[in-house]
Amino acid sequence: MTKAHAAQSPLTLAVVRHKLKAVTEEMVETMTHTCFSPILNQNQDFSAVLLDADFLCVAQAERVPIHMGAMPLAVRRMAEAFRDDVAEGDVLMANDPYWGGSHLPDVTLAAPFIHGGEIRFWVALRAHQGDIGGMSAGGYSAGAREIWHEGLRIPPIKLAAKGALRPDVLRLVAENSRKPEDLAGDLTAQWASVRIGLERLTDLFARYAAREIDGASAAILDAGEAVTRSMLSTFAPGVYRGLSHMEFASAPDGLLPIPVAVTIENGRAVVDLTECPDQVAAFINSPYANTRAAVMVAFLYFCGDEQGLNDGSARAIELRTRAGSLLDPVSPAPVGACTSSTACAVIEALLDALQNADPSRAVGGFARRFRFALAGRDRQGSAFIWHYFLNKGGAGASDGRDGWVNLGGLHNPGGTPSPSVERTEAAYPLFVESYALETDTGGPGAARGGLGGRLTLRYEGAAPAVINASGEGVAVPPFGAQGGFPGPGHAYTVDGESGQRPIGVHDSGVPIAPGERVTCVSAGGGGYGDPTLRSPEAVLRDVKFGYVSPEAAFAVYGVRV
Amino acid sequence: MLVGVDVGGTFTDLVAADDGALRFVKTPSTPDDPARGVMDALELLACETGQSLEDLLPEVDVFIHGTTVATNALVERKGAKLGLITTKGFRDLIELREGARQERYALRTDAPEPLIERPLRLEVRERVDAAGAVREPLDEVGLDAALAQLRAAGAESVVVCLLHAHRRPEHERAVRAAIDRAGWTPFISLSHEALGREGEYDRLSTAAVNAYVGPSLKAYLERLFGELSARGVRTPVFVMQSTGGVLPIADAGQRAVGAVTSGPAGGAMAAALFARTLGFSDVVTYDTGGTTTDVAVIQNGAPVERVRTDVADLRIAAPAIAIDPIGIGGGSIARIDAGGVLAVGPESAGAAPGPACFLKGGVRATLTDANLALGLISPDTFLGGRMPLSVDLARDAIARDVAQPLGLSVEEAAWAVHVLATSGVTEGVRLATVRRGRDPRDFALLSFGGAGGLHAHAAARELRIPTVVVPRMASVLSALGFLAADVRQDLQVSVDKPIRALGPSELQTIFDGMEREGRVRLARTGLGSADVTLRRTVDCRYDRQTHAIPVVIGEAEPAALEDAFTAAYRSLYGHAHDTEPGVVDVCRLSLFGALPKLTLPRAAVLSSPDPSAAKSGEREVFLGRWTVAGVYRFDDLAAGMQVAGPAIIESASTTVLVQEGGVASVDETGSLRIGELAS
Repeated sequence: MTKAHAAQSPLTLAVVRHKLKAVTEEMVETMTHTCFSPILNQNQDFSAVLLDADFLCVAQAERVPIHMGAMPLAVRRMAEAFRDDVAEGDVLMANDPYWGGSHLPDVTLAAPFIHGGEIRFWVALRAHQGDIGGMSAGGYSAGAREIWHEGLRIPPIKLAAKGALRPDVLRLVAENSRKPEDLAGDLTAQWASVRIGLERLTDLFARYAAREIDGASAAILDAGEAVTRSMLSTFAPGVYRGLSHMEFASAPDGLLPIPVAVTIENGRAVVDLTECPDQVAAFINSPYANTRAAVMVAFLYFCGDEQGLNDGSARAIELRTRAGSLLDPVSPAPVGACTSSTACAVIEALLDALQNADPSRAVGGFARRFRFALAGRDRQGSAFIWHYFLNKGGAGASDGRDGWVNLGGLHNPGGTPSPSVERTEAAYPLFVESYALETDTGGPGAARGGLGGRLTLRYEGAAPAVINASGEGVAVPPFGAQGGFPGPGHAYTVDGESGQRPIGVHDSGVPIAPGERVTCVSAGGGGYGDPTLRSPEAVLRDVKFGYVSPEAAFAVYGVRV
Repeated sequence: MLVGVDVGGTFTDLVAADDGALRFVKTPSTPDDPARGVMDALELLACETGQSLEDLLPEVDVFIHGTTVATNALVERKGAKLGLITTKGFRDLIELREGARQERYALRTDAPEPLIERPLRLEVRERVDAAGAVREPLDEVGLDAALAQLRAAGAESVVVCLLHAHRRPEHERAVRAAIDRAGWTPFISLSHEALGREGEYDRLSTAAVNAYVGPSLKAYLERLFGELSARGVRTPVFVMQSTGGVLPIADAGQRAVGAVTSGPAGGAMAAALFARTLGFSDVVTYDTGGTTTDVAVIQNGAPVERVRTDVADLRIAAPAIAIDPIGIGGGSIARIDAGGVLAVGPESAGAAPGPACFLKGGVRATLTDANLALGLISPDTFLGGRMPLSVDLARDAIARDVAQPLGLSVEEAAWAVHVLATSGVTEGVRLATVRRGRDPRDFALLSFGGAGGLHAHAAARELRIPTVVVPRMASVLSALGFLAADVRQDLQVSVDKPIRALGPSELQTIFDGMEREGRVRLARTGLGSADVTLRRTVDCRYDRQTHAIPVVIGEAEPAALEDAFTAAYRSLYGHAHDTEPGVVDVCRLSLFGALPKLTLPRAAVLSSPDPSAAKSGEREVFLGRWTVAGVYRFDDLAAGMQVAGPAIIESASTTVLVQEGGVASVDETGSLRIGELAS
C-alpha cells in the first residue's frame, strides 16, 4: 500500500509524531502503574509500540532496547494468523519465538485500531514476565535442550474478543506459571495499557482527519529512513567483515564464531549473518526477530537522533540470515539467552565490522553479562535464591574517551541498577567483604577501557548451597579497537578449604559450603588505539589513581613512574 | 513584616507582607556576591516604604531566603575538595554508581568524574553487619593516619560513609570525634546524618553532595547573616529547602544538600497556597523558563514529594518536592531534524546567547522568536519594556531555520513551532498526572506565566482541564511561596520488617524517638512546641519489591498501617496484593514548626465585568490565520472583569493567550481564571 503524503502539512506531521510518541509513553506509564507482579513494576521490563496497518513501527516507548526491533515481526505474525478474523476490541497474544517472538518470557499483546472500517494502527505492548513455566523458575535455563523445556509456548491467540477478556485463556496461561497470580495480573495490566493506547488514538482521530494521520505516519517512516540513510552514508561504501564469538562448551574449541559481513552502498546496508553456525541444542539460539532487533541496536549506536528510531530505518538495512542457523533457528531450538547473551554477540560482531568502515567511531568491547543464581538455605534454614546483579564490568573506550566502569553488556549498558550491598546483606545470608575497582583491568589503549571490579562475598547460610551460572565473557574478553588491547575476561571462583574452583559461564550445581567465598573479578572494557600513544599525563594520573600499576605503566604504556 | 527574598540567576525577587499588604521588588542579581543583590532589594523596599534600611529591618519578623549558591557550586563543579573515610574494601562505591546510566545509545561519552577523587578515598578497618553488630572494631590508629593524609592533601570537607552506619552510627561518630581531637576543622558530613536509612550509595552520594556544596553555602550564609544583623535584622533568618520547608541559617549551612534543588520549591509552595486559597485541592502547575518547563503536582493542597533526585550524574536521596522537567522553554531551539521533521527543544539557546530576537548574538530560531513572529509577544512591552526585541531578527531566524526548509510562510512556520511547544506542555502535564495514578481532568492547571502563559489555555483544552489559573504575581511567585513555608525537620529510621511482624508499639517507639530529636532541633529555632505539627510517613513495599511507596499515617498502629498501605498502593496502581506480605522499609517523620504566614489579599469583586478600562488596544495575531485579538494590561484588570477570547493579556513578566471561545475572568486574588464560554 502506498500512501499519498506529498502534501502532508509539516505542522500536522510534527504534532502527530509527537502525539504518537506520547501515546506509547502513556502506555508504558499505565503499565508501570497497573502491572501486578511486584518485580515488573520496578524494573520496567516492557516496551510499547504503535505500528501502522503494514506493521511498521511509527512510534515507540522503549524501556528495553532489544524489544524494539523485534515487536513488529511478532505483531505481523499474530495478525496474519487471524487474517480477516480480527474485530474491534480483539486483543491478540503470543510469545512463541517460532511465531515472531523472542524468548518465552516476553509476552506481546497487540490490538488493531479500527477507524472508518479499516485497520489504521496496531497497538502493542511487550512485557518480560517473571515466570512462564519451564525447567527453572524465571526462564534462563542453561540446561534446556528444546524450546519446550523453556516454558509455555503461546502461538497467536485472542486474549480478548470484541472488548471482553477471555477468562478461559487467561486461566490456561496463568496456570502454566509458577506465579499464576502475577502472570494473570500482568497480562490484565498489559491489556489495560493497550486499551489506553486505543483510547488515545481515538482522541487523535477526533482531532485530525484519517488521511492526515495516514500521511503523517508514512512521513514519519520516511523520516526514519532518511535518518538511517544519512547515518549510513557517513560510512565509506564497501564490504566490512566482523567477527565475535560465543562460549559454547560443545564446540570444538569451546567457541562458536559469529561472523558478519556488512555491505554499505548508496545509503543502504546489507547485513549478512548467513555464515554463522547451525542452531544448537542449547539456549543461545536467537530467533530471527531477536537477531533483527540486535542488528538495529548496533546501528542505533551510530545514530545521534533518537527521533529516527522507527521501522523506516529498517528499509535502509537489509538483514540476511539462514534458516536453521544459530541466528535464525527453527523449532524446537531453545532460545532463552537470546535477548542478552546472543544479542550481545551479534552487536559486537556488527561493531567490529563497522570499525573497519569508520575507525574514528570504533568502540572497545564491553564486559558481557555473566550472571548466576545462588540457591541455598538462610541462617534460619529457609530456602532462598539470590541473583547476582552487581559488578557488571568495564565499558569499552572510544576515540579520546576512556571507558566507563560498571556498565555491563552492549545489549543494555547501564540498564538496571544494582541492588545495594546493605540490602544484599540484610536480605540474604551473604557478607560482602569487598567491592572495588581492580587495578590493571582496563584494556590498555590510547584511550583506556573502563576497569572491572572485584567483589568478594562469603556465604553464611545454614546449609551448603549451589551456584547456577548463565552468561558469557570468560573465554571471550572485551575486544580492543584500533590497536587498543582487549580487557581481561570475567573470572569468578569459589574459594574454600579445598582450594579455588573456577565458575564456568554455563556451570550449574557448583557447590559452596557455609563459610566459603565467591570472588568475582569482572571483565574490563576494551581499549581504543595504540597504548603507547596514550598521553604520559593520562598514564601518570592512572597510576596516581591506582587504575594502572607502575609496572603496567612501564610495560604496556612505556611510561616510567 | 514577613520578607521573602529569592536570588535567581538573573533577578533577585523580594516579597514583603505587612498586615495583608503585599509589596514586590525586583533587582538584578549580583552573582559575584549574591548578598549584595539581597541588600539592594532591601534598600529598594525601604525606598518604597519611605524608610531607611536601618528603620525597616528591625520591623522584619520573619526573613526567608532562597539561594542558588549550593546549586551553582554543584552544577559548575566548583565545590570543596573532598576526602572520604569509608569501610575497608569499599572505596569505589561512588565511582561504581550502582551500575546505572541514563543514556542508552550514547556509547562515546565521557564517564562522569566522581565528586571525590580516588586518591582521597581512604579506607579504614571497621565493619558493622546488617544486624547492627560490630564484626570488626574501628581501627583508631589507621583512622588517625588516614585523617592526617586527607589533611595533608588539603581536603576541605570530609565525607564519612561506613557500611550499615544507619543501623549503628558509632563508628561514623568516632570518625568525627577523631577529627575534632586532631584539632582539624574541615566541613564534616556523616552518611547516617545525611540520610538515616539503608542504601550505601544513596547515603554516600547524598553526604558527598552535602560536603561538596556545604562550605561555600555556609560561608555565604554567614556573610549574609552578618550583614543583615549589622543592619538591624533581629529575627532568625531562614533558608528555603528542597522540601518546601525552611531551616535556620546555622542548620542550613550544615545541611547544604537540602538547598540544592530548592529553586522550584518556592514556586510549588506558592502554587499550593493558591490552590488552598482558591479552593482547589488538586492542581498541576507548570513553570516555563528559558530551557525547561518544570511540572509539579499539588494533591490535597500540598506538593507531591519524592525521596530521591538524580542531578548532574549524582544522587541526592533526600525528600524534595517532585519536579518533572520537560525540555520546552522560551529558548528552545526549533530545527528540522535529520529526518526532515520539525522538532522543538530540548536544545536551548538559554539566556545567552538567547533567542535571535534578544539582540544578544543568538541566531537560531527559538520558541520565543516564533511567539514574537506570531504577534503573541509584543516587542515593546516584553519584560516591561526593559528588553527590546527585534521582530526582524526573529522572522529571519524562523524563515531560515524552519519556513524555508519546510516550504511554509514565516507565520505558518512560527505557528507550527508554537503548536508543537503546546503539545510538549500538554503531554508533559498529562504524564505527570498519569504517573501518580491520576486523570488530568481532575486537576486545575496553574501556569506560572512567563513563557508559559501563551500555551496554558490550549494545553488545558486538549487535556479537558476545565480551569486555568494564572496568578498575577507570577514573576515573583517563588519568593511569595517562601512566605507560605514552615520550619521543617525531616528524620528517618530504617525498619525493614514485615508489617505483621511489628510489635504493637514498635512503630510508636520509633516515631517517639524521632519526635524527641526533631523537637530538640526545632526548639533551637525558638519555636514553641504548640506550633509544631507532625507528619508520619511509613515507606512500605511488598516483600519482593525493591522500591517502597510512601504511606502517610495518623497514628502509628500496625493494623492501621496495613490498611493504609493497601489503600495507598491501590490509589497509585489500581490494585493491591492480598497474598503478598507488606514490609516497612523506613519510617519518616516531618516536623513542621509554624511560622507566621502570608494570607493572599482578596479584593472585593466588582459588579461590572467590563474590561475596557484595562484594554490597551488590539493586535493582529496569527493563530493558524491572522486574526484580531484584544490586548489588555494584566495590571489594570480588576477583580470581576472578564475578557473574551481571542485576547492577549500582558504584564511585565508574562503574556497570556485566551483562545477564541474562551473567557478569562479576574478572581478575588487578582489571578486570571481561564475557562470556556458557556455554550
